[in-house]
Amino acid sequence: MTTHTSTVMDYQKKVSINRLGLWLFLVSDAFVFGGLLVARFYLLGGGSRPEVNQLVGLIVTLVLLASSFFMNRAETAAAYGDRKTFLNSTLITMLLGIIFLVGVVGVEWQIAPFGPGDGIVGSLFYTMTGFHAFHVLTGVIFLFIVYRNGRKDLYSSERHWPVEACAVYWHFVDVVWMFFYPALYLIGVAVL
Amino acid sequence: MEAKADDKLVIQKKEAFGRGVSVIILLLALTLGEFWIGSVASAWNVVGTILIAIAVIKTFLVVRDYMHIGRLFSDGEEEA
Repeated sequence: MTTHTSTVMDYQKKVSINRLGLWLFLVSDAFVFGGLLVARFYLLGGGSRPEVNQLVGLIVTLVLLASSFFMNRAETAAAYGDRKTFLNSTLITMLLGIIFLVGVVGVEWQIAPFGPGDGIVGSLFYTMTGFHAFHVLTGVIFLFIVYRNGRKDLYSSERHWPVEACAVYWHFVDVVWMFFYPALYLIGVAVL
Repeated sequence: MEAKADDKLVIQKKEAFGRGVSVIILLLALTLGEFWIGSVASAWNVVGTILIAIAVIKTFLVVRDYMHIGRLFSDGEEEA
């Protein structure tokens, strides 16, 4: 019993160090996204935005928000040892992430009346959405690994750091979109 | 004694799930408000500032309740 308690305490100590490392990584990643956001306002100003479909923007944003909800549900379930809810919610999060990617890359990129080479607007729009979509893709891969390990019963209510790390990363990607969405779809008048 | 601990755990789990639901409802309401503001007006000064302020509020909610930033400042692993 004492050995078990000390092992759990060692694990928790490791988790708090890992947690700090993950947050430091996210802060450094946030600087890149922040740079892109500053570039958008510096180059386009607040009066203009890319000519994109606002409804598609709203739908993909709602999908990403819903995915964050299910990610939180998955993490909470893992923390309380509710394996079934954890697996189902992780799977739903992954599917919503894929739907988001299809919405941005498969729909928005195809219907946008400009390409990546069409001036500042095109460069900014495709760089910002592309860089963000790449993060969503890596998040989906991370989710798949967590789901697969979850099916193998590798996590418990005491030991589920990979689930927490995946959740924090996924929510970070959602937070980035919270700023990209108004910057690209809502602020200013549409220009080509 | 054990049954009491189990009951407490069930209540904690329910509360944690409930918190997740409250946050998503707020996030959805703010996003729809954002969309409405962005589609009815496009004057930079006011609208841009309001939309960025809404994004900051949404970020605060996610960082506090979904990313559990508070855990960074605690030694052990808290519950979800």
